[in-house]
Amino acid sequence: MADILNVVDIDELRHQVRQKYRDVAADPSGTQHVHHFHTGRTHAVRLGYPSHPLSELPDEACEAFAGMGNPFFWGGPKPGERVVDLGSGGGMDSLLAALWVGSEGRVIGVDMTPEMLERSRSIAAKMGLKNVEFREGLIEDLPVEDGWADVVISNGVINLCPDKIGVYRQIFRVLKPGGRMTVADICLERPVPEEALRDIDLWTG
Amino acid sequence: MISAAGLVDVELANPIDAFAGASGEASAREFGTLGYSIRARKPVD
Repeated sequence: MADILNVVDIDELRHQVRQKYRDVAADPSGTQHVHHFHTGRTHAVRLGYPSHPLSELPDEACEAFAGMGNPFFWGGPKPGERVVDLGSGGGMDSLLAALWVGSEGRVIGVDMTPEMLERSRSIAAKMGLKNVEFREGLIEDLPVEDGWADVVISNGVINLCPDKIGVYRQIFRVLKPGGRMTVADICLERPVPEEALRDIDLWTG
Repeated sequence: MISAAGLVDVELANPIDAFAGASGEASAREFGTLGYSIRARKPVD
């Protein structure tokens, strides 16, 4: 298979991904924009998210969720822990993490789509959560200091980055020694031909 | 790839057909796309 970094126009891919998730932020249920993936609380339940603390979140916090699996399959973060959420999107996983870690813990959600950040910040403020913040940035260049996190979470985002090993190096950098990564994402069982790699609609679809 | 970044004890679990019933299902099936839970840890030393 061709070197993916030589095949994909990264700037164009980021532009298209931002546009896709801008649409999700504005129209989570896909009434006006067709989303090629499921969204919302029902989808999270189907993926195996635990009913608690999911039930503590308002519907607005779940509407724009578009994950690909369950990053909390092995359990949620513990009280007092520091969590970084890569590609926090509509904010659901960051908000769940904020409920798990409690007032002594901290959560940083990182996303590159301003509309998603605005949505997440608004919901966190409405919920009165002061232990979570949302930062604009790329997950290939995390705006988080070295060794800050006990846990790194992510759901359905790393697959959208051509430089995946660069993302995992960033995860390594921001984790404390002994810290853990619990993410969810898609894996492909069959190789992707070069023409498909160049098809940005397939990446964002 | 995860191990190459320095993380250890990599584990994949909980495969799920995340696109089942979605409009992207056909593309997902073409490449055998499944969602997974993935964990690993940063070594202490």
